[in-house]
Amino acid sequence: MWRNLVAAALLIHVSISASQADEAADLSELIDRSIQSRLDADGLQRAPQADDAEFLRRVTLDVHGVVPSAESAAQFLDSPDPQKRFRYVDKLLASPRFGEHFGDVWRSYLISPLANEQRMQTDRFADWMAARFNRNDGWDEIAYDLLTAVGKMDENPAVTYLIEGRNPLGVTDLTDLSSRYFLGVRLNCAQCHDHPFVAWKQEDYWGMAAFFSQIQTPGRPKLVHVAGVQDDPRMTLTSLKEADMLEGFQPQPPTFLGGQAWEAEARTTHRAALARWITAPENPYFARAMVNRMWWHFFGRGIVNPVDDMHAGNEPSHAELLESLSRRFAESGFDLKLLCRAIVNSRTYQQTSRPGDRADAEAEQFARMSVKVLTPPQLYDSLIAIVGPPAKSPGINTRLGARHEFCQFFAAADDPDPLRYEQGIPHVLRLMNSPQFLGRNLDALVSRATADANSSDETIDELFLAVLSRRPTADERRLARDHLKTADARHTGYRQLAWTLLMSSEFMLNH
Amino acid sequence: MPTPTSRRSFLANAFTGATLGGAICGWLPRLAACAAEQPPTKSCILLWMSGGPSHLDTFDLKPEAPDRIRGEFRPISTSVPGIQISEHFPKFAKLMQHAALLRSMSTVESDHQLAAYHLHTGYQKRAGGVAFPSLGAIVSRELGRRDFPLPSFVCIGGGSRHATRSGFLGPDHQPLDVTDPQRGTDFLAPLTSRQEFQDQYALLRRFDASFQEAYRAESATAHASALDRAVRLMNAQEKQAFDLSREPEGVRDRYGRGGFGQGCLMARRLVESGVRFVEVVSGDGVGWDTHRDNFPRTGALSAEADRGMAALIDDLQQSGRLDSTLVIWMGEFGRAPQITSGGGRNHWARAWTSVAIGGGIRGGQVIGRTDRDAAEVVERPISVVDFLATVCSLLGIDYTHENRVPNIERPIPIVDVTKEVNVISELL
Repeated sequence: MWRNLVAAALLIHVSISASQADEAADLSELIDRSIQSRLDADGLQRAPQADDAEFLRRVTLDVHGVVPSAESAAQFLDSPDPQKRFRYVDKLLASPRFGEHFGDVWRSYLISPLANEQRMQTDRFADWMAARFNRNDGWDEIAYDLLTAVGKMDENPAVTYLIEGRNPLGVTDLTDLSSRYFLGVRLNCAQCHDHPFVAWKQEDYWGMAAFFSQIQTPGRPKLVHVAGVQDDPRMTLTSLKEADMLEGFQPQPPTFLGGQAWEAEARTTHRAALARWITAPENPYFARAMVNRMWWHFFGRGIVNPVDDMHAGNEPSHAELLESLSRRFAESGFDLKLLCRAIVNSRTYQQTSRPGDRADAEAEQFARMSVKVLTPPQLYDSLIAIVGPPAKSPGINTRLGARHEFCQFFAAADDPDPLRYEQGIPHVLRLMNSPQFLGRNLDALVSRATADANSSDETIDELFLAVLSRRPTADERRLARDHLKTADARHTGYRQLAWTLLMSSEFMLNH
Repeated sequence: MPTPTSRRSFLANAFTGATLGGAICGWLPRLAACAAEQPPTKSCILLWMSGGPSHLDTFDLKPEAPDRIRGEFRPISTSVPGIQISEHFPKFAKLMQHAALLRSMSTVESDHQLAAYHLHTGYQKRAGGVAFPSLGAIVSRELGRRDFPLPSFVCIGGGSRHATRSGFLGPDHQPLDVTDPQRGTDFLAPLTSRQEFQDQYALLRRFDASFQEAYRAESATAHASALDRAVRLMNAQEKQAFDLSREPEGVRDRYGRGGFGQGCLMARRLVESGVRFVEVVSGDGVGWDTHRDNFPRTGALSAEADRGMAALIDDLQQSGRLDSTLVIWMGEFGRAPQITSGGGRNHWARAWTSVAIGGGIRGGQVIGRTDRDAAEVVERPISVVDFLATVCSLLGIDYTHENRVPNIERPIPIVDVTKEVNVISELL
């Protein structure tokens, strides 16, 4: 099946066919209808559409992971084309930056933050994911390749997932991660005890874990970096070296989640059998898990929350919508660009995030957009887009790469809530006072903004466009003018204005 | 200095809980008397020996063991009869009456990162699990003051950043990291003149107001509040605690001029100014991870540690703060008894030593015992939860206190009480 899909994907990716655009439009309508009917039932008002500036910045951050340039912001805002939002989305999805962003995002999901010494390897992994996303390979095919990868990391970056998955503990971590990211279920509590609220039993956990038991782990775990990953068909859960060290260990034969035992076949590895079951169009979890995660990515909350804790006792807010979107996603050959296009072209996605009278209910029912917090990579890439590459700064050790260091420094705990602001005093001190971005870089930004401007108003506009992707309101313009009057020197006044915009809540958030 | 009796009665108070003390203090006529009796809130300095120091070559020497195990260092006597430690801790040896050697640490993780995480948080790191707060963040939350301009938790020197974060306790309890104590904290001074900074900060508040009003997002409020607290720190007198140039040269020399010694000095200054938890890391990079050349390296690191911690303990005692400041010396695990062909020792989590000093403990004692080769604990094993529950109790923190965590159904206790917890009562 996946081989056929490779062939199909190669044909599809060249241009967006009319039928693909139609299918996306159909799905957008489906989304809007489902959301609306629940709102009607609950007597909630939809928020107005986001204005062009809000939409532009939001969709660029969500799809490309970076703010738009001042030029493209001005161009978009000034365009009279009624179809400009659709066209802009087409452009975003066709750009290689699409895959790069989602490759980066999936690296952060699948690779342990503890794997920092292997940064080069995880860069290769992110590149590998990026190429797959940009080719628009089916999600089933990508997942299959991740789960069944063999070889060494520098020869086959996909295998990085199996080696550097969250912890260097092997089987149990791969069981947890694969269940959460490919099936949208949390089995980890069932490792040691039957889950009190959920149907998962300890035997479900170890039945799934058994599929990973053939991955050879050399005597010392670190050697796997050298030796790479191979399957040893003679191995089972009980032959694992560290079995007695694993909490709640329970030897089980390989059993698919839900209790269907696997009938061993000749020349099929355990992992291949698992991957085939996971990615089959009829698998009840796989498509739902990705639809819910993509929805969570774009809206800051899932149709089921927590995003990877889907079980019978955890009702989706919009069950039918999740069901239909998942079915159509599977029918499309797990087409991720289609899913993205359908979501961001929907009216629901394009609502403003300004709350009405019932702010929380509106956000929970998707009657308005939620305000997300920029992730560390989004913040870093946006700072570079606005003020240029980072300058050397005392106290910042970029031996492992400036971007890597920045993301580690600003990273929240594992699996951060996209709506929750996590930075403390050390972080904002660094943002305000380190010369990494706001020293000389800021002078350069001001010089560029003043160079082509004929008036102070034009410079103010330019700074707003560069940092916030919009022009100032009348009040803001007045405030800026007043400030420039009191500032000692013009340049200083502009630099203070630029600093202010870069430190603002609006810049730190994706509204 | 408080007598042992007052120490006992403080601990009794600590166990009956803060509410009782609060209720009595609330009664105005007795306020003055009460304030005089109330012991000071405790602070904690964690001296973190990154890489895992060899217990056999520091505080649990085995002179009777065979050559391939015993190693090169000789034991020396200390101020407490019968307690011997490595010859490379001569200054600390004279202060043994304040310290307890916990020779029966017995833990499960033997990977650096996982062990550091486990020891700092009390929980093992699991894929997709909860992000647990480190001890420093817990202390910040339980003992820190909201109105205090410095963060309640400071980390000095490079360390395992993953192990020291505040996890689900959130941004208010994140540590302020001081990478190099000689240089002080980074980013405390604005890039522009003070006046320019004040002007632009005032401008920011005015600009931000309209966004906050229109979008009413909690994240926007949280950002503004983080900025406010940071600016307050920039303007606070207390930030001088980070400036070691205010110390006489002689004092700076006494701590040792390396990163660890100067870190100990900064820790003392921070605790004096009211910071509740300071972690000082010894051993950048490989540090105590002596897979090769264990003896020259452990010897040099020990000498540096000895100097810094002895000066710290001396000064805390001089200023009367030793009883209210718990100092802990430890790494993520110990090292294997068997010496490798490269003259090194590999990781060993099953049996190792940590040290508790001051903080009102009963000093001058050894707790637990290992076998002839320091390979196995033969008496009074101390698990991670035993250790952390003890530290919390010493600091006056109820370790059974449960935190509610967003998206997690079950409440999470400070120390995992679903496991068997044995507080080391001999210390109290």
